[in-house]
Amino acid sequence: MTYIPSADDLEVITREVWTSFLDGDPAGLVAGGDPPTGEQITGCVHLSGAYTGSIMLQCSPPAARDAAAALFSIAPGDVTQVEVVDAIGEIANMVGGNVKSMLPGPSLLSLPMVVQGVLSVPGAQVVRTVQLIWRAEPLTVSLWQQAS
Amino acid sequence: MVIDDSSAMRLILGRIMRSLGFDVVEAPNGAEAIARLQSGAMPEIALVDWNMPVMDGLAFVNAVRREEKWRQITLMMVTTESEQSQIVRALAAGAHEYVIKPFTPDAIADKLALLGVLAY
Repeated sequence: MTYIPSADDLEVITREVWTSFLDGDPAGLVAGGDPPTGEQITGCVHLSGAYTGSIMLQCSPPAARDAAAALFSIAPGDVTQVEVVDAIGEIANMVGGNVKSMLPGPSLLSLPMVVQGVLSVPGAQVVRTVQLIWRAEPLTVSLWQQAS
Repeated sequence: MVIDDSSAMRLILGRIMRSLGFDVVEAPNGAEAIARLQSGAMPEIALVDWNMPVMDGLAFVNAVRREEKWRQITLMMVTTESEQSQIVRALAAGAHEYVIKPFTPDAIADKLALLGVLAY
């Protein structure tokens, strides 16, 4: 039987990335809240191999801008779209890589993809999701699995 | 030399390395890093991401290890690839150390000290 990391695992991994690079305050990222609505930025990495699926990070544009500002150590108002794409892609990559280590292997990790809006993966379904709040903005991390 | 396709990660690693006293050059993928080496750059250490476009980190390590003139370069993977089999592959190819993202500045400094490229 395939072990699937729990929602708590997703939260722990996301929290580790956040406290390492985005917000030194462990209390800065709060569990709960509602999924983002309206405009969204989605960062995604795909896994293929013993486990085939995706790890997605969805957040509001203000959260994405603040995350990029924190990673690049610049003021939020100075963040460019290129920096948002780079930052959200790298965060999705770090979360995805660490989730991958808990899944059956070997699997290949794709380069990150970042889109404005919601990404859906044909033939895949969400198997785990965790809802978080950072600086009053919603953030969702989800693990998808491709139907076999 | 910091080799990573994420400019944010190059910035973070570059800042850490500069704070430790290193001069830093950057490359966004393995191919550009090889081009820099071919044009005469001879870094003491290269911090290498795994998943990059054009040429990934493992291919870069293999390419460096094939060249006698680059033997002295210490190679440290800094990557999200954390499967044991991947770590073994990188070390077998010639990487000296392996750091999994996310990391702390202290973790990087500790690994550099272990490699003997940083004197505490």
